[in-house]
Amino acid sequence: MKVLIVEDDLDTAEFIKRGLEQHGEVVHHVATAQQGMLLVSSNEFDVVIFDRLLPNMDGIDAVRILRSSNVTTPIIMLTALSETSDRVSGLDAGADDYLVKPFDFSELYARLKALTRRTPLKQEALCLCVGDLTLERTARRVTRAGLTLELNQKEYQILEYLMLNPGQLVTKTMLLEKVWGFNFDPKTSLVQTHVSRLRNKVDKPFSIELIKTIRGCGYIISDHD
Amino acid sequence: MTKYLKSYDIKYALIETCLLLALCSTLFALGGFFAVHSINQSQMEELTDFSTELKEQYQEHGLDWILDDLELDERPIWGRAESLERLDEHDNLFKVVQSNNLLLGSELEFDADNVAKWQLLSFDSERQFELLTIRIELDAEVTVIILQPKSYESAFVTGVVWQLYVYFSFIFSGCILGIVLSRRYRKQKWIASTKKVLSEIAKSPDSTRLPISRKCPINNDIVNSINTMLDDITELHGTMKTMSVGIAHDLKTPLSRVANRLQSMRHDISEPSLIETHLNHASNDLNSVISTFNNLVRLNSIESGQHKDKFVKLNLSELIDDLALSYEPVFEDSGRKLELSTVSDVYCVGEADLLSQLICNLLENALEYSDVGAHVWVRLQSHTESALLQIGDDGPGISPAAQPHVFERFYRADISRAKPGNGLGLSIVKAICQVHGATLTLLPNQKGAVFNIEVPISGQ
Repeated sequence: MKVLIVEDDLDTAEFIKRGLEQHGEVVHHVATAQQGMLLVSSNEFDVVIFDRLLPNMDGIDAVRILRSSNVTTPIIMLTALSETSDRVSGLDAGADDYLVKPFDFSELYARLKALTRRTPLKQEALCLCVGDLTLERTARRVTRAGLTLELNQKEYQILEYLMLNPGQLVTKTMLLEKVWGFNFDPKTSLVQTHVSRLRNKVDKPFSIELIKTIRGCGYIISDHD
Repeated sequence: MTKYLKSYDIKYALIETCLLLALCSTLFALGGFFAVHSINQSQMEELTDFSTELKEQYQEHGLDWILDDLELDERPIWGRAESLERLDEHDNLFKVVQSNNLLLGSELEFDADNVAKWQLLSFDSERQFELLTIRIELDAEVTVIILQPKSYESAFVTGVVWQLYVYFSFIFSGCILGIVLSRRYRKQKWIASTKKVLSEIAKSPDSTRLPISRKCPINNDIVNSINTMLDDITELHGTMKTMSVGIAHDLKTPLSRVANRLQSMRHDISEPSLIETHLNHASNDLNSVISTFNNLVRLNSIESGQHKDKFVKLNLSELIDDLALSYEPVFEDSGRKLELSTVSDVYCVGEADLLSQLICNLLENALEYSDVGAHVWVRLQSHTESALLQIGDDGPGISPAAQPHVFERFYRADISRAKPGNGLGLSIVKAICQVHGATLTLLPNQKGAVFNIEVPISGQ
């Protein structure tokens, strides 16, 4: 994966760069919006991390200009502004995701992976499979090893999102945003409770555990260890 | 008196007095003029009527009959001196002339117009008389000319007006000056005492308030507004204090723990397993600081009302049902029971994200503070103008002493701040209610904490 970082704060840029390089990704860093826009237009990057507050230019304007000139590279915005309305305006401008500083590196990486994996084909796939677990999206039916599983609405939505990103970390915040549509963090174990109930149905009766908990980070669905 | 009145006060008081006096004199003079004018006018009308009557009687009865009637059958003739004397004594003067011969009346030389008219006449070099004159031609030969001095009434009014004018000028100017000065004095005294009270309040906002004055009721409106403002400021002052305590505790405590962890890491640098533990703890502490900051930012942004642009009509029943379904297993796992009873299709105007947080925060609160085994309920009823949402639990509730403070920032009923959380949850609930025009009440005398939220159906 080739990642471009547009970030004027060198500490943050270095933090992201080191993390990505440890995962074997190719990283390029520039500090101004102008340089960033020039490089994004070349279309050689798989994903762009764009800071919201850059010298001379608001990241939102940069993204808007890029999108209006038909650049389709996935963009994730970073910001110190944490308000819902900021998030909404970032997404409206054409960013694919929006992450508030400070963040865990694992959170950023999970989101980058989700963005680069989500090809149009995958988004519209009618049937999702992980190991012997199958999710039919039109019928909203989930089966494992031929047995139908009874899931409630939230459990179904969580499983669907996990299966859209197989083998990838899905964080608690990502689930809150995608499944509940929350832009705030309810303090309790809302996500944990639902995932644990989901695991009771999906994994408990079977020998192989598909949904794995990454402590303090989130969940991965995968049929190999 | 000199303590409160400066020289410019006296200067302005004098100017004010002169202006008032000038205004009063003008009004007075105008009044007098119109009074005298109307008396003179009616005298003129009376004389005109008299002349008409005289003509009619002459034609009917003849001159002798008239003279009899007026008791002038002696046909008196007044010489110059006697004529002037009569005028001095405000008696009428007249003469009756037949074919240029004086039949009776004054020997003085005078003439008049055929209509009643005021004229200034002088019969010697010294004196002038303002007289009402008329010439009545009874027939081709007989003519009557009448001179009538001003009536007693008119002369009296003129005299009185002038006298009053002079006396009152003195008395009046004295009074006005007194009033103006005393008003200025009272005003300056009020300003000085207000300044004194305000400087006391500046030192300690709760110490005192501006007094309501019976002498200066005009100032009481200002006094009331200032006192209300001072109460608001005092409340803010209190909030600031609670906030500083909150910030000191909720931010400083985790930060000092991080500092301690960093020192421990330096100490345990050769033991990777310990380092990992320290890192996890430091990271958790920093996360709580960041979460407090995020909540503060969110609270401010909700209070600023910037979300109002995104308000839409939404189905509150569906939103609540959905949230309650999500929370049911969480309550179940914690050993509590969540009971839901909602009326379907209740709509309101608002933002789904904010309303979700409102309900979440109250449910979180119930999870945090109700006893294990407690009943927690969410109810939604529809009224004509509003939707009534109730979220409550059956114990142990909030102590009466803490109840007035629960919506304050960083307020926590447990002084030790032992439980997790940052005391912003209910402040955010209050801010969300305010921005939606909803009223939020913590019901008194309940077994547990019961919150009532009345959301207007049509928005505000």
